[in-house]
Amino acid sequence: MKINFVINKHNVTVDVDPSMRLLDVIRNELHLTGTKEGCGEGSCGACTVLVDNIPYDSCLTPIANVIGKEVMTIEGIRESKEYNVIADAFAKMGGSQCGFCTPGMIIATYALLQSNPHPTDEEIKVALSGNLCRCTGYQGIINSVRLASQKGEKND
Amino acid sequence: MINHFIPKNLSEALDILSNHDCYIIAGGTDLMVQKHRSSGLLPTFEKDVLYISNLEELNFIRSDDKGVHIGATTKYRDISSSELVPQLFKDVISELASPNIRNMATLAGNIGNASPAGDTLVALYVLDAYLVLQNKESKREILVKDFIKGVRKIDRKPDEMITEIVIPHHDLHYYWKKVGSRAAESISKLSFLGAYITKEGIIKDLRIGFGSVSITVVRNRDIEKQYIGLKIDEFSQQIPEIIRKYDEIINPITDQRSTKDYRKKVAMNLLKDFLTKIK
Amino acid sequence: MLPEYKTSVTKVDNADKMAGKAIFTGDIQMDDLLTAVSVRSTIAKGKVLDIKLPELPKGYYFISAKDIVGENICNIIFDDWPIFVDKQVNYLGETIGLIVGEDKGKCLDLAAQVNITYEEETPVFEMVNSYIYKEFTKGNPELFKGAAEIYSESFATGYQEQAYLETQGMIVYFDNDVITVKASMQCPFYIHKAIMRVTNYPENKVRVIQPAVGGAFGGKEHYPSLMGGQLATALLKIRKPIRMIFDRPEDIAFTTKRHPSRTEISAYLDKHKNIIGLNIHVHIDGGAYKGCSGVVLSRALIACTNAYTFDNLIVNGDAYCTNKVPSAAFRGFGSPQSIFAIELFIHHLANHLGIDPLELRNKYMVKQGDITSTNGIFRDPIVLKELRDKAMKMSDYENKVKLYSRPGSNRGIGMSWFLHGCGFTGGGESDIIKAKLRIKKDKDGVVTFYTSQVDFGQGNRTTLKRIVVDTLGIPEDKVIYDAPDTSLTLSTGPTAASRTIIIVGGLAAKAAQHLKDIWVDGEEQEIIEPYVAPNFIHWDEATMQGDAYPGYAWGVNIVEVSFDPLTYQIKVDGCWSTYDVGHCIDERIVVGQADGGIVQALGYGYLENEVAIDGKFRQRNLSDYIIPTIEDVPELETGFVDNPFPYGAFGAKGAGELTFVGGAPAIALAIEMAIKHKVNKVPANPEYIMELLSHED
Repeated sequence: MKINFVINKHNVTVDVDPSMRLLDVIRNELHLTGTKEGCGEGSCGACTVLVDNIPYDSCLTPIANVIGKEVMTIEGIRESKEYNVIADAFAKMGGSQCGFCTPGMIIATYALLQSNPHPTDEEIKVALSGNLCRCTGYQGIINSVRLASQKGEKND
Repeated sequence: MINHFIPKNLSEALDILSNHDCYIIAGGTDLMVQKHRSSGLLPTFEKDVLYISNLEELNFIRSDDKGVHIGATTKYRDISSSELVPQLFKDVISELASPNIRNMATLAGNIGNASPAGDTLVALYVLDAYLVLQNKESKREILVKDFIKGVRKIDRKPDEMITEIVIPHHDLHYYWKKVGSRAAESISKLSFLGAYITKEGIIKDLRIGFGSVSITVVRNRDIEKQYIGLKIDEFSQQIPEIIRKYDEIINPITDQRSTKDYRKKVAMNLLKDFLTKIK
Repeated sequence: MLPEYKTSVTKVDNADKMAGKAIFTGDIQMDDLLTAVSVRSTIAKGKVLDIKLPELPKGYYFISAKDIVGENICNIIFDDWPIFVDKQVNYLGETIGLIVGEDKGKCLDLAAQVNITYEEETPVFEMVNSYIYKEFTKGNPELFKGAAEIYSESFATGYQEQAYLETQGMIVYFDNDVITVKASMQCPFYIHKAIMRVTNYPENKVRVIQPAVGGAFGGKEHYPSLMGGQLATALLKIRKPIRMIFDRPEDIAFTTKRHPSRTEISAYLDKHKNIIGLNIHVHIDGGAYKGCSGVVLSRALIACTNAYTFDNLIVNGDAYCTNKVPSAAFRGFGSPQSIFAIELFIHHLANHLGIDPLELRNKYMVKQGDITSTNGIFRDPIVLKELRDKAMKMSDYENKVKLYSRPGSNRGIGMSWFLHGCGFTGGGESDIIKAKLRIKKDKDGVVTFYTSQVDFGQGNRTTLKRIVVDTLGIPEDKVIYDAPDTSLTLSTGPTAASRTIIIVGGLAAKAAQHLKDIWVDGEEQEIIEPYVAPNFIHWDEATMQGDAYPGYAWGVNIVEVSFDPLTYQIKVDGCWSTYDVGHCIDERIVVGQADGGIVQALGYGYLENEVAIDGKFRQRNLSDYIIPTIEDVPELETGFVDNPFPYGAFGAKGAGELTFVGGAPAIALAIEMAIKHKVNKVPANPEYIMELLSHED
């Protein structure tokens, strides 16, 4: 079935089975490999993408569910000015180690700061609670989000 | 060969259901896990699939004298931010799965999936919530507790779909505890919801539900009824008896998440704690 | 307050990883890439009598032991783990063969149709059949006979899953006539060696290249060698590129894990309550094949007195053969198990004797010049007291102990202190690894150096490069240091055992200094720098006597918890750590190790439960094998005491494993205080705590 949606601000049509996972469409059909698969069951958040600006697990999303919608992956996010603030903060605070959870973490952070530019620590934790990281112990990630929020403030 | 249907509106969806036995996918968060095969492969649906997440006419939350009506494609994200939805229900949702899943998943989907560990089911049982099921010709209403027949077994006829859930208004005091394996993103080892109304020292309502301790939510109206109408001090005397009654009907199992002994013991601890806090 | 990392530089791989540009094994795009899926045994022990294959369509292959050109052995120290089951199955899920073909779904269908007939044998799942035994003594154990009292306890630890976010995966292909491998790995030369042996290919016809690696923690030290042997066998037969990537359930069910353990300790006491000595027996569950279990056992035994000095010791250890997935490397490598045991034992002993536990621990705390458990010497300055005092102050430990010890507090605080020997045990560095580092300069003064160290997140690519840049005193863009490629680099050994900075970093600094010494502008120059162990290191493997490690890193963890008496759940409220890693070259990177290590260790201590029933793991994905989320972790505070190590680069010692070994005992001690009951097992999860407390009802 031909399925139309928007990926990283570009219209795209893919001819796939409607039950195909959005993750597989992104990685295998569109060859955008920044989105990762860590568990395949919605437990780790490594496959997080934005669908109409809301973070989704792309491993649980049948492609039928994004017909006509706007999907943003890390390849799209990284073109934004907000990404630079977030990536710079992650670099300064040690928010990324092996890098496998990182695109998902950055998208979750991006979505959080879009809707809530100055989150409390509790709000940061809730927003990132579905994104597992095995390397950083999360402290570097929390500090990264805190710093990105502060930096964003200066840019307001 | 299976068919995939992506209807544009509800009436088209009901038309399709009148001719095809379908899996109905809203957010996909349950079915896409159950039917997942392996990375890069299609899910293994063995019958037709109907995708309803785009049906905007089922994306609503509204309130009338019957209660709060939640549409079948309304996401948890929107339920938990609605002023119309009771706090009790929001508390339950806030601990459900992960933020991404709350962004994608629907209440109707979780009910249709009838997982024994589904947290919202406990609240729906305790709040006497009911569903509206619709087919091409008609609608019917059914209590959630009657709709769910067992593990992943529901009383949906092939031509029907859940179109909305109705949570009756209430002014219950409540005691909610999800016992998960970690602070966030956990599937319940068990959950407990106690609720009551007291007025002038008398128990006016009492409701008790347990999740994940049986194939489906344990709620026993017969036990509850026996204590409604008691004065609080009389009620306090009855607490050991109430505990004994639930002790008889709660028989959890051991699985990858916890043990039967733990589930039983904690269920009883929470029940006792709730009962002693009623005032 | 956000930290400032004044000594840190931007990590070399940061930009690509954050932008999603880093290429992991699963991201590699290649034409005509076939997929391999495993056909696994469905019994835990028995003989394969017959394998009936379904009809294989054109382009689909079954690869098994029969196809192996060389030897059917994946050498992990021992020659006991076959690449494919030949006749004997020794654990559930052991690989009998691969189905390889273009369509993964079809491969899975075919794999499911392979019909294997077994003659089942009775499997053993308990620790009863010892296949490795080690022992040593210290001082004069004869003195134990004069003891006024003997106090004994037993401790247990469970399985632990590495749970790296990227699962195991590998691609093999021919580049001309060279078998080329890209994989999620820790040790390129282990894979290289494994494939040579399986294929009979010479050294220069096997090439292993490291792509981005999404975490490892020990789990990708040995297992990729097995996959390499399997896929290289398939490649020789099919001669097309092949990829195998495990889904998470397959990774959890069938790849190596941390050894479960049981440790028995007896203290021999004189009539003044002094400890005459200890008798310690460590038992570890090695699984179906020995692999590295002997070395894990050695480290567990050497570390069994942790950062305490006891004059007289009897130390025994057994690794057991069970019909389960082999246990293997995982951050800490045996020492977390025995350090958990001794840390809790000392507390329990103190309570038994009516002595303040801290007083008893202080009394036996290691000092410079003390004799190690294996009769080596702690030669270098030890700053453990400073670490202890600093951590106690950061956490307000003493006040909290007073407060939380009161009945009904439901809160607790626990402290561990610990050491970690850096590098391979004993003569491993000079006798087995024999690292050699190549550094060269071109005519334009651009320096390239090569190591076989994999950066799977630790930051070693950044720090190793910096060591060379700073030693040479040239701009960073004049130094090239890429991920390992066995066709370019000499082996500087595995990325394991906290050896990368202390050993390879030291070697890199030395090589760079030599290059600097002979530097001539405009000329091509190359140096091959071999590792030379400090000459004071003497180790006898047979008797386990001497200096087990060239140097030790030290640390203190303090963990604070609260306890819910209704649900027996534990919440971690605070966590403070202090470390002596010699000198921190890059504080942000070391803090990253510290934070990640302690959180993984807290998970080990109270959350991460992995149970095998009849050889089958009950937990199948990350929704039931529970690792900490961001909400489970308190603010982590970390401090350092600078104590430069004379033999490492810029004074640095190891940091990777050190940050793991003390977490479980610290949280277990905190839980004890909160629940007012002794803990003898990790994970101390709510089910276990309920069991402990139910005996008091």
